[in-house]
Amino acid sequence: MKDLVRLRTPIKESVELALNQQIQMEMVSSSKYLAMAGWCDRNGFDYSAGFFYKQSEEERGHAMKLFHYLCDQGATAISPEVPAVAQEFDTLRSVFEGALEQEIAVTDSINRIISVCRRENDFATEELMKWYVKEQMEEEYIARRCLDLFDQIPADQIFELDKQLSKVTYDGNVFE
Amino acid sequence: MYTVSSRSTDWIEIFRTDKGVVYQCDATQRLILAFWDTYTALSARDFAQFRRMVETIDVRQMALSTDLAHDVEILTPPRSERCYVLTLCEVIHLRELLSGAQTMLELNSLLRECGCRLP
Ligand SMILES: [Fe+2]
Ligand SMILES: [Fe+2]
Repeated sequence: MKDLVRLRTPIKESVELALNQQIQMEMVSSSKYLAMAGWCDRNGFDYSAGFFYKQSEEERGHAMKLFHYLCDQGATAISPEVPAVAQEFDTLRSVFEGALEQEIAVTDSINRIISVCRRENDFATEELMKWYVKEQMEEEYIARRCLDLFDQIPADQIFELDKQLSKVTYDGNVFE
Repeated sequence: MYTVSSRSTDWIEIFRTDKGVVYQCDATQRLILAFWDTYTALSARDFAQFRRMVETIDVRQMALSTDLAHDVEILTPPRSERCYVLTLCEVIHLRELLSGAQTMLELNSLLRECGCRLP
């Protein structure tokens, strides 16, 4: 008797489900960052706005990478529903706090997917997820470093702070 | 998907309840759902999607709501012209049939992974 599912795809249903949930999460992140960019833009934080516009694009890229992977593997990728996200924030600091929280949630989710891969012996997907592990280390680093700047730069120098925030990068990723 | 008028002898019976049967046809690589004396042949992908559609029906709402619209659930298997109009009982029966078939398909995968092969 043929194994019809395996002939179609090497991806197990539990992995397919987890990856589709991750696609949704990345698209929600993209939407959240876009809302943050809009808030920064209309409140005169031009540099931070630029930072979040770029982040928003990147998150969409993360979703698309998974989407193409599922399609290439013969599995079903689902264009996700993206619920409404917050459009208003109290302060610039709370925007960056929101960004760090979102990145932590994503890291946890990536780790959960890897444990699903291990349970299912899905080494190809695990290999793909390693890229996300590195990416998350970088993203969490940047978000944390940004929050440090709020303590390091006096609150009355908000223009300087805005500028410095957008310059935070992570060079020398230990994984590379 | 396509409709088949009668049972072929090449079909392997995957799972049976008193309400229906799921067969596999190796030659056409289709799963055949026999329910209400109709045969519906689906690809493995469409079968999985149809199973998820049946699994996600809100049976609680069907059971509790007095709204006429909630008395039946209308389902169209992917890429098919067939339309199932299901009562609450039929949803439950279909679920039992599809999840039983799913378990047997998973068992077949497991055997293949171990290097065993069913004829
Ligand atoms: Fe991401
Ligand atoms: Fe991110």
